[in-house]
Amino acid sequence: MTQTAAALEAYNAYWANSIIPHGNVLWMVFIIVLAVIALWQARTFVSKF
Amino acid sequence: MDLKALKKQESKRKISKGYMWAFFCALFWGLWYLPGTAIWVLNPFDEMSSAIAKTSGDNVSLVVTAVLITAFNALAVMLALMIWNGVLGKYGELVRTLKEFKPCSKWFFLASIFGGPMAVFGSFIAMGFIGGAFSAVAGLLYPVIGSIIAYYWYGEKISKRAAIGIGVIVLGGISIYGGGLLTELSSGNAGNVQWIGYLGGLMAAAGWGIEGAIAGKGLDIAEPDAGLTLRFLGETIIWWVIAIPILAIIGFPMYSFAIQAFEPLTLLILVFAGITFGYCYVTWYKSFPLIGVGRGQGIGNLYGFCAVIFIFLFFGDVPAWTILVGGTLCILGSFIMFTEDASALETLRGE
Repeated sequence: MTQTAAALEAYNAYWANSIIPHGNVLWMVFIIVLAVIALWQARTFVSKF
Repeated sequence: MDLKALKKQESKRKISKGYMWAFFCALFWGLWYLPGTAIWVLNPFDEMSSAIAKTSGDNVSLVVTAVLITAFNALAVMLALMIWNGVLGKYGELVRTLKEFKPCSKWFFLASIFGGPMAVFGSFIAMGFIGGAFSAVAGLLYPVIGSIIAYYWYGEKISKRAAIGIGVIVLGGISIYGGGLLTELSSGNAGNVQWIGYLGGLMAAAGWGIEGAIAGKGLDIAEPDAGLTLRFLGETIIWWVIAIPILAIIGFPMYSFAIQAFEPLTLLILVFAGITFGYCYVTWYKSFPLIGVGRGQGIGNLYGFCAVIFIFLFFGDVPAWTILVGGTLCILGSFIMFTEDASALETLRGE
């Protein structure tokens, strides 16, 4: 099933008032960066404890 | 440096890492609300909700759609956790923990029953029948239940200072969602079925509290990364092997809509829901052996404040003054806990 125009409009409406420019993409970038930091910390944690 | 000083230094390091993991949990949990909210308007869930509402009504439609979304969320979490365990080289540990059912994995499968169908599902029921703010406030009460069970079951120590910190964070959370909560409770928009929403709220608070206490017991002998993955394996089995087939037998079109979820945008949002939910949970579990269930859940409760900040930044929803008061209380509560003397946390259990 492809997304209908109504579904895409409702989805895009969430990011339309984002305070951060390009918020519709940057939230994913932010999650990836935070996940990489968490994984790095977890690896450091494994080696130290 | 003598042995006593070394022990104190090691204990201090352990505690700071515990608080770090609990704070990671709050960040990921707060971020989860972005994909967790957006997924509802995407297909097939949007059309599934409309199709079921036509035949069975809005309330049933919301619950059945929530089951499918939660089932996909659990699958996405499993995927994210397999990457987590792969990067940490924990596959061997995972198999070892799975094989040791009696001493280890039984606790995590038990935790999955309380965390999945009870807490997450209860949270969705509270959200649907009363409202999102009520659901969030009900969920925020879980550290109180978790701390009490951990105290009576295996004697986990909870200092007066930590109890005050947890209390202040819970008050902050209630203040954050206070405005919406009063509107929802006074409107009575759900009519005579509102008690189902209250039951859902109770399920959420009790479910997460009990899950934390059970996980704390399981983590006495198991490792958090492997333990949490087994907890989600249990939840995935509950949704895909028990709940969805039962709903399909009753007559809901579960499989036809499930197949339609394999669409690029829907899958992308599910992947991010999986990363945020999975990593929030794994960091939550990692904090328990280091600072205890009560403190881990207390700091994890900062998710309420984090969610408001991320929703403001990415959705542009401006917070009300009650949210700013609540945020200040959350920070104050965390500060009370962070500044607790390390010697009070050297042993987490009573004698």
